[in-house]
Amino acid sequence: MPAQIKKQDALRSAMERSTRFISYTLLTAFAVTFLLPLYWMFTGSFKLQTVTMAVPPEFIPIHPTLENWIRLFTGPWPIWRWVLNSAAVSLLTVVLVLIVSSLTGYGFGKKKFPGSNILFFILLSTMFLPNQVMLIPLFLLVRYLHLTSTLLGTYFAMAMPMISSPFGIFLIKQFCSTIPDELLDAARIDGASEWQVFTRIVLPLLKPALAALSIFTFNQAWNYFMWHMVLATDKFQYTVPVGVSIISRTPAIGKMLTDIGITMAGGSFGAVFMIGLFIAFQQYFIKGITFGAVKE
Amino acid sequence: MTKIKTLASEIRKGWAGYLFITPGYLAFIAFMLLPILFAISLSFYKATFDISARQFTGFGQYILLSKDLIFKQALINTIKYTLVIVPLTVLISLTVALLIDPLGIKAQSFFRGAFYLPGVAGGVVLSVVYLWIFNPTYGLFNYLLGLAGLEPILWLATAPHSFQAVCMVVLTFTIGQPIILFLAGLAGISQDILDAATVDGASNLQKTFFIRLPMLRPVLLFVLATQTIQVFQLWEVIYMVTGGGPFNSSTSLVYLIYQTAFIGGNYGKASAIGVVLMGIIMIFTLAQLKFWRETDV
Repeated sequence: MPAQIKKQDALRSAMERSTRFISYTLLTAFAVTFLLPLYWMFTGSFKLQTVTMAVPPEFIPIHPTLENWIRLFTGPWPIWRWVLNSAAVSLLTVVLVLIVSSLTGYGFGKKKFPGSNILFFILLSTMFLPNQVMLIPLFLLVRYLHLTSTLLGTYFAMAMPMISSPFGIFLIKQFCSTIPDELLDAARIDGASEWQVFTRIVLPLLKPALAALSIFTFNQAWNYFMWHMVLATDKFQYTVPVGVSIISRTPAIGKMLTDIGITMAGGSFGAVFMIGLFIAFQQYFIKGITFGAVKE
Repeated sequence: MTKIKTLASEIRKGWAGYLFITPGYLAFIAFMLLPILFAISLSFYKATFDISARQFTGFGQYILLSKDLIFKQALINTIKYTLVIVPLTVLISLTVALLIDPLGIKAQSFFRGAFYLPGVAGGVVLSVVYLWIFNPTYGLFNYLLGLAGLEPILWLATAPHSFQAVCMVVLTFTIGQPIILFLAGLAGISQDILDAATVDGASNLQKTFFIRLPMLRPVLLFVLATQTIQVFQLWEVIYMVTGGGPFNSSTSLVYLIYQTAFIGGNYGKASAIGVVLMGIIMIFTLAQLKFWRETDV
């Protein structure tokens, strides 16, 4: 009998090992396929124009060059200004979304008042509407108020369509419902005002949700390409994605060809900030995605 | 009378609630509700660059749209994009998630992050490199096709291929989010159930088909809903990679909204297209909600 069990165990572990091998191979194949564009862009930024157009292509740059990066940093494009613009717009959006979502989400999550259900329903029903529809009126408003004539006005205009985030409010409301009422009542009995209950007890408890919401909003605001492009009219107003797209559409000097090298350097430069942020705050990114969708 | 009185006292008691939601609700009204309502009203006007000179045309814009061949093409393409990209996204991300799930914690978080990276980089950055990859003479794809003994393809200049090219670029960054969601769903399946199945002699494949997949249903529905709405709003890749061409074969409704409003300055028509898109998304969301409720026994 024991010999038979041993045999079975050996068979099972052999099978486990082979399935593990197969799944690792498959996974690696998938990962290589889906990461190939990023790899191609990054290595392409170290290739000379003649090399970028060579057939067969060089999978690893044989004579890597910094020429594209030097041209990117010393060229006519104010790339650091774009980073500043993107960072300012994204941060402003995050701050406004945090204020709006925490207050409103708490109001809907923990307060009982007539009309709260219908008000919340109206809010939620806009969550899935295509936001390009409201960009037209917002654009007319920005034009009417000449918001883009000043730097701060431009930043605010770029943040505008994201300020009222039904997703953020929904997320905070859900999170608030996990806070026990007794905790808040105890504070009230101790003489805390409604505002103190919110700032001293609720806000600290909301920290993980707010962190996830921040990082999620930051990423979204950073990549809000259409709106940025509609608003930015000169190169000092560009955000990073707008700048990257403009570089890619600018042909090499004296040629009709796309300047692939500098385009790849620009793309890598544009991607590196969000990728860095992602690697540093991966767990918050993931929380922001899974909140509300998956019961834990 | 007493009803009104109790309501009044409840409103008075709820003052804190009203105060807390006021800033957010004002922002919502100013930056979302009013713009949407204004866009709907604009769709009943002939409105161009000088918005104050707009003329009321009733359903004029909608009647024009019904005869507009480019609009029709954009509508068909948008639905086609959804029918191609959403199922592929779900299939690939579900497969990848099932492959990642049994791995150790470190390997899990490595692969999960790797597949999400393209999404973080964003559609613009990816489009820029894909333009090079799709180049007919020195692009990577045609080189790989050549290695496989296939003819080179004019990816962005010929009709079915520009559509396929857009799908490929989009797939690169849509799979990351569902993978994370599926993994979270898989992690939530109780180990007891899986162990019980193992004791009963179920193979791993059987456990996947009869336990894991059925238990992932809520996540799957969420992924389907969010992905469909995202693909309905597809435009930046089209703008970057094909410009909607050739001959509008890869255009989409949102790309048409962008062109009509922000390039052409025809705000009335663009708003009408937007209202149509809004209607489609709403019908779709309601249908899904209904399906969700009916099958959730």
